[in-house]
Amino acid sequence: MSTLKPNKVLRKKVTRRRVLIGLGTTAGVLVVGVPLALNAGRPALVEYVVENGTGPQEAPFNPDLWFEVTASGITFYAPKMEMGQGIHTALAQIAAEELEVKPEQLTVKQADTARGYAGGTMFTFGSNSVNALYTPLREAAATLRELLREEAARQLGVPAKNLTAAGGQFFIAGRRDTLSYGKVVEGKQGEWTLPDKPARLKARKDFKRIGRAMPRVDFRDKVMGLSSYGYDARVDGMLYGAVARPPRYGATLAAATAGGASAQPGVSKVVIDLKANFAGVVADSRTRARNAVKKLDLRWEGGTNVNQAEIDAQVRAGAGVVVRRRGNVGAALKQGTRIEAEYSTPLVAHAHLEPLAALAQVAPGKNGKIEVWTATQYPQKVMDDIHAALGKDREILLHPTQLGGGFGRKAGQTAAVEATRLSAATGRPVHVGWTREEDLQQAFFRPPSHHILRGSVSSEGRILGVEQFTASGDIIWPASMPEFVKDTIGFDPGGVLGLFMPYDIPAYHVTNRREALPVPTGFWRGLGVFPNTFAVESFADELAHAAKMDPLDFRLNNLPDTEDGQRLRAVLEQAAKRAGWRTPPPAGRARGIACGLDVNTASAQVAEVSVENGQIRVHRMSVAVDPGMVINPQGAKMQAEGSVVMGLSSTLHEVLTVKDGMIESANFDTYPLLTLRETPQIDVDLLESGDTPYGMGEPIIGPVGAAVANAVFALTGKRLRDLPMRL
Amino acid sequence: MQLQVNGKTRQVQREDELLLWVLRDELGLTGTHYGCGIGICGSCTVLVDGQVTRSCLTPVASVAGKAVTTLEGLARTGRDGAVTLHPVQQAFVENPLQCGWCLPGHVMSAVALLNANPAPTPEQIDDSAGINLCRCGGYNNVRKAVARAAELKRGGL
Ligand code: FES
Ligand code: FES
Repeated sequence: MSTLKPNKVLRKKVTRRRVLIGLGTTAGVLVVGVPLALNAGRPALVEYVVENGTGPQEAPFNPDLWFEVTASGITFYAPKMEMGQGIHTALAQIAAEELEVKPEQLTVKQADTARGYAGGTMFTFGSNSVNALYTPLREAAATLRELLREEAARQLGVPAKNLTAAGGQFFIAGRRDTLSYGKVVEGKQGEWTLPDKPARLKARKDFKRIGRAMPRVDFRDKVMGLSSYGYDARVDGMLYGAVARPPRYGATLAAATAGGASAQPGVSKVVIDLKANFAGVVADSRTRARNAVKKLDLRWEGGTNVNQAEIDAQVRAGAGVVVRRRGNVGAALKQGTRIEAEYSTPLVAHAHLEPLAALAQVAPGKNGKIEVWTATQYPQKVMDDIHAALGKDREILLHPTQLGGGFGRKAGQTAAVEATRLSAATGRPVHVGWTREEDLQQAFFRPPSHHILRGSVSSEGRILGVEQFTASGDIIWPASMPEFVKDTIGFDPGGVLGLFMPYDIPAYHVTNRREALPVPTGFWRGLGVFPNTFAVESFADELAHAAKMDPLDFRLNNLPDTEDGQRLRAVLEQAAKRAGWRTPPPAGRARGIACGLDVNTASAQVAEVSVENGQIRVHRMSVAVDPGMVINPQGAKMQAEGSVVMGLSSTLHEVLTVKDGMIESANFDTYPLLTLRETPQIDVDLLESGDTPYGMGEPIIGPVGAAVANAVFALTGKRLRDLPMRL
Repeated sequence: MQLQVNGKTRQVQREDELLLWVLRDELGLTGTHYGCGIGICGSCTVLVDGQVTRSCLTPVASVAGKAVTTLEGLARTGRDGAVTLHPVQQAFVENPLQCGWCLPGHVMSAVALLNANPAPTPEQIDDSAGINLCRCGGYNNVRKAVARAAELKRGGL
């Protein structure tokens, strides 16, 4: 079994031929589009599929990166969706660097599916947006800059080498006047021709924007209430839709009639489609549509009656697929000091604050065109689902909106399919916005996990062997795996993220088990990273204590002498330094440390905790991250802080339970999230180790739970192995 | 009925509706968000006569004749068309959160806090801001932004 190495994303160099697409003008406008070949999906899965011979996708015709240059500035259509991760800002920064423009000269707009789509770059998950687009975007921007330079040289009658690009204009050697990019475009006669030579990228030492803080391009609109999210999508004459929900997962509509719904005030249509398990209402207000849905006469059948205890019993580590087999673990476990421990993490929700929502407008006729506005991380999935619901031949124009959080849940957008069905049935634009109750219950969840670890350490504090069994509900498995991949590998690639201890362990066996649960499970920030890292980094701490060693020294002692090992060493030492690890903590507090590597980003964290009135209180989190290279330190720190807060929420509070086939919690009164008052001081140090930026959105959530558990153990001697933590 | 929103008189048809949906769906002021409908998340927060109010729990009829302020009503537009952000908005631009869906709660709470108390202590900031959720985890920037807003306001911005 080969192990999955993340981050071998396929990219095609921007060449003369590739950049040509869309190179066109109307008077005074230069439009440049660049198609790329990037495979969608989590990088680890991509590599696996490629190794198995399906190869990269064909270079598409539609461009992925699209620039428009006019006299008033440059517009960049971003193929990535903004959900708070600051991706539009990071991409603007990268483009501005090579374009030699000031950030305010560059406007970032969200690309829709008519512009910047077909290359398959239009998805936002797996923490790979910056990693995947860093080089292609620089190449595209540099090509555009050189295109403008050559044209400027022609217009000025000077050699191109006499022109220096800066601040959106060309400075001319030996002259005082300048020529702006906009003027170059305005003055252009006839067709554009691309430069013969590929554009040279700037040397890192010359960077003026990449690596420095840049204000968010979207935040002024956001503080003014002007940003448009999926819930905010509006067109004239639109109506509101609401949809009936099954009382149990998997239940189907056996019978349905409008009942009293049609007679409710403001109702314009009741839409029932038994084959699709669909019953919905369209009305002139959201409240009226929701009230009318309650009057539908529905009979739900079948589905699951599962209760929490059965789910717990199903997710038990033990037999499964061996995903790593190194050395003789049986023999290793007979030597040194041996320990064994079991850990578990529960079912949890994404709880993005903007519930699912979409607006759809379907043109009349069997093959009428569909226009959709929705908050989605994955437009292709939305379009596939709409095609499945309304017919394959329909043209769809999808406008991704701003997302009010995503965390994996908005990989699809059920509300978009519902709005489309209702619009097709009424001939009117229809907006569907879910209630919090719908959003929390009619969801998919981070699956529960269970972990058994056995290990032994020598008296010198070296790990001799570890035997590890993990079970988890499915993550990637149900959503996006081709059958042949399922058959070949037998395990869920999402479930192995964060699974492996990053230490040099001579005998190491890991068995992974996946379970299809009766409750929907799927992508949640970092996939397996949070549950798995909680288990393995808690266990590393237990091994350190078994070896009677300081947990930091123990980790440093066991890291391999590889690049990964060195990067982990650096972040561990930095987090420890920031936290004052070698000095005693304030009275009544203790510290715990943990680390991890995900999508090639190394991170370590030190938690400082106390126990007050029987409650765990986290006072400080010291985080050190090495994402390879940092584009925007301000944005990267926000991603780290956000991961810590979400990780603490999972560590201290979040758990869903199932009763009679349905999640019991329906809103934040019974599903509390971490609050501001509980949020500790968070210090983030960013380390760089190369010229490639890796991911920042997910890796840092990994070590949070273990760092806290290890601190609680240091304080109380009590080992908390189940999340959320209860003392 | 009539409603005073952001200094303007607006005509409202749906008198039996919640303020949140009147603002968003009838008046088109989508800067006020829905997150839970039960008063916990704060995404729907507006000021009613200067008081922090959850619009998801407020029948529109109950605010007739009172002054409602939403996120859209904070910035000032000068005669030359130039927009000046409210100090609290400016402070949040300098200390941004992430997705911004929670902003109505954090911004409106800060506006009300600073109107009542121009120099809040960190504890007072936590008490005021702590009633609002932020799933993206921007809480420490909320703290920084409110402190910064107090500074900007004292500086007469
Ligand atoms: S929507 Fe009103 S408090 Fe959450
Ligand atoms: S920024 Fe997303 S919920 Fe606060």
